[in-house]
Amino acid sequence: MTAIEVTDLTKTYPPDFTAVDKVSFKVDDGEIFGLLGPNGAGKTTAIKMIMGLTRPTSGSIRICGIDALSSASQVRQLMGYVPQAISADGDLTGYENLLIFSKLFYVQKKDRDIRIKEALAEMELTDRANDLVKHYSGGMMRRLEIGEAVVSRPRVLFLDEPSIGLDPSSKRQVWNHIMRLNKELNMTVLITTHDMAEADELCDNIAIMNQGRFVAAGTPSELKRGMGGDMVTVKLSGGAEMPLMAELGKVVHVLDDTVSILTLNGETAIPKIVGYYEQNGLHVLSMSLNRPTLDDVFLKYAKVRIEEVESYSQARQARRSFMRHAG
Amino acid sequence: MNSITRFVHSSLTVAEMEARKIRHDSTELWTRLVQPALWLLVFGEVFTSIRGITQGNYTYIQFITPGVLAQSVLFVAIFYGITVVWERDAGLLSKLLSTPSPRSSIIVGKALAAGVRGIFQAIMIFALALIIGVNLRFDILDVMGVFITIVVFAMCFSALSMILASFLKTRDRMMGIGQAITMPLFFASNAIYPLSLMPAWLQTVSVFNPLSYGVDAVRSMILTGDYSTLPLDALVLGGFTLLFLAIASVSIRGMVE
Repeated sequence: MTAIEVTDLTKTYPPDFTAVDKVSFKVDDGEIFGLLGPNGAGKTTAIKMIMGLTRPTSGSIRICGIDALSSASQVRQLMGYVPQAISADGDLTGYENLLIFSKLFYVQKKDRDIRIKEALAEMELTDRANDLVKHYSGGMMRRLEIGEAVVSRPRVLFLDEPSIGLDPSSKRQVWNHIMRLNKELNMTVLITTHDMAEADELCDNIAIMNQGRFVAAGTPSELKRGMGGDMVTVKLSGGAEMPLMAELGKVVHVLDDTVSILTLNGETAIPKIVGYYEQNGLHVLSMSLNRPTLDDVFLKYAKVRIEEVESYSQARQARRSFMRHAG
Repeated sequence: MNSITRFVHSSLTVAEMEARKIRHDSTELWTRLVQPALWLLVFGEVFTSIRGITQGNYTYIQFITPGVLAQSVLFVAIFYGITVVWERDAGLLSKLLSTPSPRSSIIVGKALAAGVRGIFQAIMIFALALIIGVNLRFDILDVMGVFITIVVFAMCFSALSMILASFLKTRDRMMGIGQAITMPLFFASNAIYPLSLMPAWLQTVSVFNPLSYGVDAVRSMILTGDYSTLPLDALVLGGFTLLFLAIASVSIRGMVE
């Protein structure tokens, strides 16, 4: 069965900015689907349209077979949403956050308390349930928000950058919880991320989005295999913009003095690449050879490295959001 | 649950959120008492003793107590949109709007929440008025009528504030517009002086000012006991409230787009 079916989804903002451009995809029941892309690629806009928060310019959205545009409130009963900014209410306790949320989702009174306790236990927040959320850490706030899905039991859960701004151990904890919701409660999950490790770890299928369009889609291993070859990274003493001879490989990315080259056979290409640069009067300072990672896939299709994407301002914004909640 | 039950259930849940927040931290309620206390204790006392403004058989402080009450609720309500802007910035608004609860029920709930705060203001101002010896009618039905009026009144202006918030979208602009409209609303009403003392043009303006109707309703119940204008007050105040709530339910979409 198809949990999410999006066809030709488009959003344009006046005068002529197209945030999402004829995007179509399907997510099967029980799948974890990742939407990858640099800032401004249109991921959040796409999610907001599916959630009914922004009206699409054109296109159609079906959630579990129901038209999301004509039966918005019916579909919202089937969906859970964790926005990018921490949206738990800091002035309420963890328990109260879940209680209010369960009521707005019309969870039956007899199930409410059981599910809230279950959510708190599942998210390891039981002993902090009666503390105000503004005294929680960032990771705890995130877990509380994911716990809301345990209470409302959506068929499809949308997570917008779920681990942004979290430290590595909180990040891993959040991933484990997402996987458990997917396995144990059989929730279909759609996440947006620009953390390639996250996509690789969690997602059954991913789509890479750039400038409002899907530029590649498949399973993480398919996409990596699809790169066809090895990644050679060369650090030069300057002149990195110099073009490379086609038979040596394809330059996928240049950042400062570092050139990333996709080549069929790394071992044999390395001496030739070094020779080529030396001949042209450039010094090779260091080299490395790797199997393509999801990061390289992303780099090829989105034309930017992840480090450049995870911009300072965005990280700062996420951190501020935590601080604000921490009062 | 049918759709009306669901609507009421969601609205009350959103209002419950606010009540729970007040229970955790009531500092704001107390600080908001300072200004009305000054109006009563300083302005009210001074003008009572100089007998500059008289209205029927009532002392000036009796006359302005309902006005000060309405004004303090107006202040709470008109800045309520700032809370909504804050919730938008924090992502909470998107999440509320992504629940199956109807959008209009979220708006009505938020407006009710402003009403909850209004009731606390009313209780405190009544208590203050009693302590300083203002002679008011404390009939149980009248007091209940006042509370209902206060809730509707707070809903009216908080809905107006949410409409403004959905167009202005930032806290700074909301602070500005709040400052810019509260005083004109206050002065162009019957809150601190009778309409008959106003120049003709201002009297005309005050006819369109929902604040005047709120003040009049409260005044008729706790001061004069003359209910002749109450139906008109209820009609106008209720009408404005429904209109503002309806517009806010549509315009709120602009906040999360």
